[in-house]
Amino acid sequence: MRLYLLLAGARLRGQTQYRVSFALQVASSFTSTFVELLALLILFRTFSSLGGWSVGEVAFLYGLASVSFALAELFGEGLEQASRMIREGEFDRVLTRPVAPLLQVLAADIQPRRIGRLAQGILALALAGRWTTIDWTPLKAALFIGAIASTAVVFLTVFLIGAAICFWTIESSEFQNIFTYGGTELASNPLQIYSRWLQGIFLYIVPLGLTTFYPAAHILAKPDPFGLPPFTPFLAPLVAALFLGLGLLIWGLGLRQYQSTGS
Amino acid sequence: MPLVHVEHLQKRFRVAERGGGPLGALRRVISREGRGVREVAAVEDISFAIGRGEMVAYVGPNGAGKSTTIKMLTGILVPSGGSVVVDGLIPWRQRTMLAARIGVVFGQRTQLWWDLPLIESLRLLRHIYKVPEGRYREKLARLTDLLDLGPFLDRPVRQLSLGQRMRGDLAASLLHDPKILYLDEPTIGLDVVAKERIRTFLLDLNRREGVTVLLTTHDMADISRLCERMLIIDHGKLLYDGGVGAIAERYGGERRLVVDLAEDVAAPAVPGARLERREGTRLWLSFRREEIGAPALIAALTARYAIRDLTLEEPDIEAVVRRIYEEGLP
Ligand SMILES: Nc1ncnc2c1ncn2[C@@H]1O[C@H](COP(=O)(O)OP(=O)(O)OP(=O)(O)O)[C@@H](O)[C@H]1O
Ligand SMILES: [Mg+2]
Repeated sequence: MRLYLLLAGARLRGQTQYRVSFALQVASSFTSTFVELLALLILFRTFSSLGGWSVGEVAFLYGLASVSFALAELFGEGLEQASRMIREGEFDRVLTRPVAPLLQVLAADIQPRRIGRLAQGILALALAGRWTTIDWTPLKAALFIGAIASTAVVFLTVFLIGAAICFWTIESSEFQNIFTYGGTELASNPLQIYSRWLQGIFLYIVPLGLTTFYPAAHILAKPDPFGLPPFTPFLAPLVAALFLGLGLLIWGLGLRQYQSTGS
Repeated sequence: MPLVHVEHLQKRFRVAERGGGPLGALRRVISREGRGVREVAAVEDISFAIGRGEMVAYVGPNGAGKSTTIKMLTGILVPSGGSVVVDGLIPWRQRTMLAARIGVVFGQRTQLWWDLPLIESLRLLRHIYKVPEGRYREKLARLTDLLDLGPFLDRPVRQLSLGQRMRGDLAASLLHDPKILYLDEPTIGLDVVAKERIRTFLLDLNRREGVTVLLTTHDMADISRLCERMLIIDHGKLLYDGGVGAIAERYGGERRLVVDLAEDVAAPAVPGARLERREGTRLWLSFRREEIGAPALIAALTARYAIRDLTLEEPDIEAVVRRIYEEGLP
């Protein structure tokens, strides 16, 4: 952990040497993601509800997914970099050091401008708070925190698998984009509005549905459209941990496939 | 027990022919031998052992498999066949444990943080390798002195000259007192003065601290100055393992003069030199230091032919390997 902070800190210091204006970048990240939230609000001027969810409820779900994704992006930037490092052979250096490669990769980059998206997610949650009446209990609060952490872990794992696939083939960015950007999109809306096929993927393969939709539905006291057992919302951390385990396994296998480069 | 032990080492690379879009990529991930995957043998069959305290040159022409071997010795690559043991460990399996005992410098690629001052990189490496503070200070002072890092310790690495950066990289690879140091072309692109400084440093390191060194280079002078033993490889196979002296004496003393004639000559010949190659009016003449000096050769040439241009080339390892093929080993 100390080493992570040291390495990430070094990276930040390195960045500030180029940085024009940190505030400007945060602002631009905020506005570009804010457009998404705006689109959602405009949608609700025409439709009063989406799959039985009101604007406030959807904003809640959207905020939850957004905050989690922002956290994953904030800490997972290094994984995006890893694809490039693997492709260009820079990963050699990671493998000659007596520290777990994953730790080095995570610490290799951190992008504070990502707090733009975080701010936007928090704004969505604040709006949701005004437009809905949630009767908070300690259990619901814990579920809320757990859902955010679990969703962030699922997104991070998607980044991790995306990077690991580079050990086999250099063309993995497509996969990542489908599941991360596609995933935020899906995780931000009530799951029942999507086709069965997509529902299946996001419940059982990349389990974002289980870490966002189910906890949110429970907190908002919405009915479960799929008739899964009543404890399903509380499975989020377990599901995230299992998915992470799968990601780590693929990463470990990938390390042995690493080919480096010829020059 | 030798420090490095390599037996029938092999490495084949999969090279994918591209195309097919994202689904094609996925298909290639799933079915390994799917259409368009070729295998390239970079290392075919190499065996050698290196004892503690040795300084060995690992040489061969471009693409011979030198870097690939070093990557297997450090655990970066998993061998496709054969065995490799370094200091009692299997590199790819016990990579993290081994990493603390070895130092690696890839001349083409720095391990320093590009945007940070050199001293910061060294400080980070101290934490990565868990070097105790006191030991680090001592080591840093010594390396700063020997490699003359003082003038640029506080400069960002991206501003350093190649020679300065290489010295920084050497220091970085030695902070944790590795038992063995792998150097992949540590003198590449450096001028004569910078090369000599690095050579002196390496000699001292090996003699005084007993660090085992395996180095690859294309520079015959590096080899004859630093090593007593050399391994020559080509096409992934070992050609020679033995003393540097015998090879350097027989092939290394040979220099080359590239001559551009002003006009075509039917059968150019100069006593004391061997016509190695010829393309139109350009001639490659090889000659031995003991038989004829460069000035005498040039004088003899100008006396016979009209000459447009001349270049003198010092012997390189490619020439040595070529001659081993032509004439066999001594
Ligand atoms: N990652 C890789 N993928 C595919 N082929 C590779 C890879 N690395 C090396 N090769 C091939 O393996 C062969 C040996 O390469 P290697 O880098 O080991 O040579 P080398 O002896 O270090 O050469 P040089 O003197 O040019 O550095 C070359 O034909 C090279 O093209
Ligand atoms: Mg090489």
